[in-house]
Amino acid sequence: MNSKFLKKVNQNKPYFFQAWAIVCIAILSFIGFKSFLPKKLFPESSNNKNVVVDSLMLDAVAEGGNLSEEDTLSNKTIKFVSNPLGIQFSDEKFEQYKGYQYLIPFFEKLYQLETNKKGKARIAYFGDSMTDGDMIVQDVRTQFQSIFGGEGVGFVNITSESAGSRGSILHEYSQNWKAQSYLKTKSPLRSFGVNGSVFFAKDTANTTWVKYKAGRNRFSTTLNNPTVFYGSSKNKKACIRQIIGKDTIYKKLSPNSILNATQVAGDVKNVKVNFINADSIPFYGFNFDNGKGIHVDNFSSRGNSGLPLSTFNVDLMNAFQQKLGYDLIILQFGTNVLNYGSLNYTWYERKMTSVVNHLKECFPGAAILIISTADKSTKYDMQMKSDSAVVPLTLAQKRYAVKAESGFVNLYTLMGGDGSMVKWVENVPVRANKDYTHFNHRGAKEIAQLIYKQIDTGYQEYKRLRAIATKKAKPKKVVKDSSLPVKNDTINE
Amino acid sequence: MLQDWFSKNIGVITPEIIKSWFVYDKDAPLLFNTGLFLGLFLVFYFWYILLRKANTLRMVYVILFSLFFYYKSSGIYFLLLLGSAVVDYNLGNLVHRTSSIINKRLCLTFSIILNLGFLGYFKYSNFIVDITNNLTGGKMAFFDVILPVGISFYTFQSISYIIEIYRKEIEPTKRFVDYLFFVSFFPQLVAGPIVRAKDFLPQIYQKLNVTQDDINRAFLLIIGGLIKKTIISDYISINFVDRVFDLPNAYTPFENLMASYGYTIQIYCDFSGYSDMAIGVALLLGFKLPTNFLTPYKSASITEFWRRWHISLSTWLKDFLYISVGGNRHGTFAGFLFPGLFFVGLIIWGISFSATSNIPLIIAVSSAILFALTFLLSKDRERTMYTNVNLMTTMLLGGLWHGASLRFIIWGALHGLALAVHKIFLEHYPPVKRKITFFTPFLKTFSIVVTFHFVAFCWIFFRAKDFPTALQVIENIGKVTFDFNQWLIIAQGYKNVFILMFLGYFWHYIPQKVIVAIQNVFISMPLITKAIVLGLIFWLVFATASAGPQPFIYFQF
Repeated sequence: MNSKFLKKVNQNKPYFFQAWAIVCIAILSFIGFKSFLPKKLFPESSNNKNVVVDSLMLDAVAEGGNLSEEDTLSNKTIKFVSNPLGIQFSDEKFEQYKGYQYLIPFFEKLYQLETNKKGKARIAYFGDSMTDGDMIVQDVRTQFQSIFGGEGVGFVNITSESAGSRGSILHEYSQNWKAQSYLKTKSPLRSFGVNGSVFFAKDTANTTWVKYKAGRNRFSTTLNNPTVFYGSSKNKKACIRQIIGKDTIYKKLSPNSILNATQVAGDVKNVKVNFINADSIPFYGFNFDNGKGIHVDNFSSRGNSGLPLSTFNVDLMNAFQQKLGYDLIILQFGTNVLNYGSLNYTWYERKMTSVVNHLKECFPGAAILIISTADKSTKYDMQMKSDSAVVPLTLAQKRYAVKAESGFVNLYTLMGGDGSMVKWVENVPVRANKDYTHFNHRGAKEIAQLIYKQIDTGYQEYKRLRAIATKKAKPKKVVKDSSLPVKNDTINE
Repeated sequence: MLQDWFSKNIGVITPEIIKSWFVYDKDAPLLFNTGLFLGLFLVFYFWYILLRKANTLRMVYVILFSLFFYYKSSGIYFLLLLGSAVVDYNLGNLVHRTSSIINKRLCLTFSIILNLGFLGYFKYSNFIVDITNNLTGGKMAFFDVILPVGISFYTFQSISYIIEIYRKEIEPTKRFVDYLFFVSFFPQLVAGPIVRAKDFLPQIYQKLNVTQDDINRAFLLIIGGLIKKTIISDYISINFVDRVFDLPNAYTPFENLMASYGYTIQIYCDFSGYSDMAIGVALLLGFKLPTNFLTPYKSASITEFWRRWHISLSTWLKDFLYISVGGNRHGTFAGFLFPGLFFVGLIIWGISFSATSNIPLIIAVSSAILFALTFLLSKDRERTMYTNVNLMTTMLLGGLWHGASLRFIIWGALHGLALAVHKIFLEHYPPVKRKITFFTPFLKTFSIVVTFHFVAFCWIFFRAKDFPTALQVIENIGKVTFDFNQWLIIAQGYKNVFILMFLGYFWHYIPQKVIVAIQNVFISMPLITKAIVLGLIFWLVFATASAGPQPFIYFQF
């Protein structure tokens, strides 16, 4: 027998046991490899200088990441002081803290709108990438406007990284704008606007322009009274040019005060504004509202931790408050501080407490509402679970809400608490994206409903308490509407 | 001591964990790339080898394991599998025994309607409700059904069995056990390849054997499949592709483009990787399943693509659907019905948009004209018309087979149209007339690039969750401008993803010779080394799977 034939015979011999042995040895060697080879092939952190993170947060982490403070709040009951009218929400355990008492000025505005169809209300909604592209905020806006009236998308930036993903308004702009944002720039050429950004027409040779077109959302199908907001400058030659039909219309800009507003049109479907000789004027953005009901401005910036809000210039913000009249400031942050490496958030709590106090100075009379981080998942031992930093962060957020006398929405518990993000991502219908952090449109809508529902619960309770208080007060005939704690009645038209 | 080692390296085993191994959990189907399957297979395989000579007993043993395997993925629906097997087996016998052609046809029709009826109920009932609601503005309630895993695959296998009996290509199985073994055979049960009765049944009656060559091939397939499915496909999908397709407008045009390339390699790696594992596992058991993918993106034409992509499905569709509606010989009502409905629907859709934009109508009319031209320009118009219409039917229904959504129909239609266009192109420029010149290799490369991009374009419809999302992705890709700096920043941000994508494409496009050379290295290894290599691959799978999703990245340019 030659060897070739032998080989052939060998090859046809059953090879079952050898196959089984291979599987067996492979499993054993896998267990061996597992014990000394790294557990993860691709580490999760990606240190990339081109990724958006706000610089103030990085500084804060660097200087005070290890602060610790005794916990004096948990298990405590928070008592509220009654307001001048005698309205006092009942005490709350820290666990369930919502802080409706601190939203009374805003509730009263809603009340006036609802019952007397009087006045108007405005919300500034600050956020991070969760509210990018007007996600969540557009649904909150629609909810409010369907009850309390009002049309328009509110304040919109001159240029925006998320213009493409925004559906509530279609937004285009020329490439020759210079934008500075409080996220990256420590000392801007001029103070940041209420949106945390300031824009300059850096090019005098080509026209610098911006274009808006109304989206299809309810109550935002028109661009209501587009008005450009800009700061002071020595440049008095600047004007804006619009082409409407066959006419070219020029309008002079007058950058005389710290904050100026020029209306560029009435109610239109779309608007394109060219800026001529507009160098050195700080531009902030366009406002779209119909002057009635309620308006919600979305000031989202990707990567924001909330700390940059401390860089607001008080005088300029007071001027914004004069012109726009904010009654409620919503702060929805947290996603960007979840992964900083420790579960100790004392530094964040301190910094944010001072941010909130700073905002009260910037926007006198406005109530503040803190929305906690949503659930976010991380993989632990092959399974996606709620990130261990979520609960400590929501506690820190609740603590600064209490300390700075603000309302509080615990988004983490509202969306279902432990493990909820996994469900939002994996259950049908899908409500969050595969990064286990951001919501999709369906999820954002649901989140907006949850937030609105909590505010509305407080508002309904406010109406009940108000009725009782008015009844009590009536015999004395002392309390008039004017004595209500609405400090901000000087709304500029 | 031993206990410590055990808990550290394997984990603590509690009664709950043991229970979870054997109880249905809809979130944890028994996939080939799970540790649980590996452990169960090791035990299963050992007894399988011992039973290799006891034919009937071994078959019952495999059937029980298969039913358990199916129960782990679909819960109580394993009874559906069992029930439909009983019915189909008896109908098969009936078709075989009946002598009158009319009765044969009747049995056949009944069986096909029954099988497709089940498939339709589970897969398409809510789709039909949705369409009806949209058309009539009604609010019909959706059915509360879940899709039993693999029903699309085993339904097609059952149909092939009966049609082949009807066509006298095979005899019915001798016993019910044989038939149940064929239908429930776990390696191909949930995701193919779709095994044809005439290829599989003869193997049941052969003496069971595996040679050294078979085992080498099996492990190579399993290793390749694991790398493709678990390392490349799963990682790039969760860390990049899914995110972009979730919200395309939040990403730069370049990211949209890369996500589309990413999905193209992802779906290939996912599908072919799982198929390869199935073929490999079957081979370990001594059964040869047909090859399902042949590096499809190397195709120089769309026709070639369909000879290399999901071969078991495309041959099934050709033999049982395309031929049944007339093939290239004649037209039938069924053959004309679906393309007719499709083009009428397309034009109505175009008209409904005419108030806001004319583009949909232009697209609708021009695609209908293009399709008509594919046979009007032919020398043999009538015959080409039958061919192309039947081809279109096949591709439309083939598209729908992938999932109940208009997107899959569009995907099928695009492929059907492309196949028809390629046919008429071939008629006017037949390959024999083309001489081999200096330019031939360039021309071939060009054809491959064009085919690849067409296929990648169609995948956008396949992947996007709805029509507007698909259009957004396409629109964004249209905005790509050359900006090397930006591209570099993105590539750095998604370093791992892009490396894996590159690896996927590199592997796809290197010459077959190189692959064979690498495989020969594995084959020439001693048994123990092979096992260690396999163990290393297991570790790779584990270490990739245990990485959490990469944090969300927003770039600053």
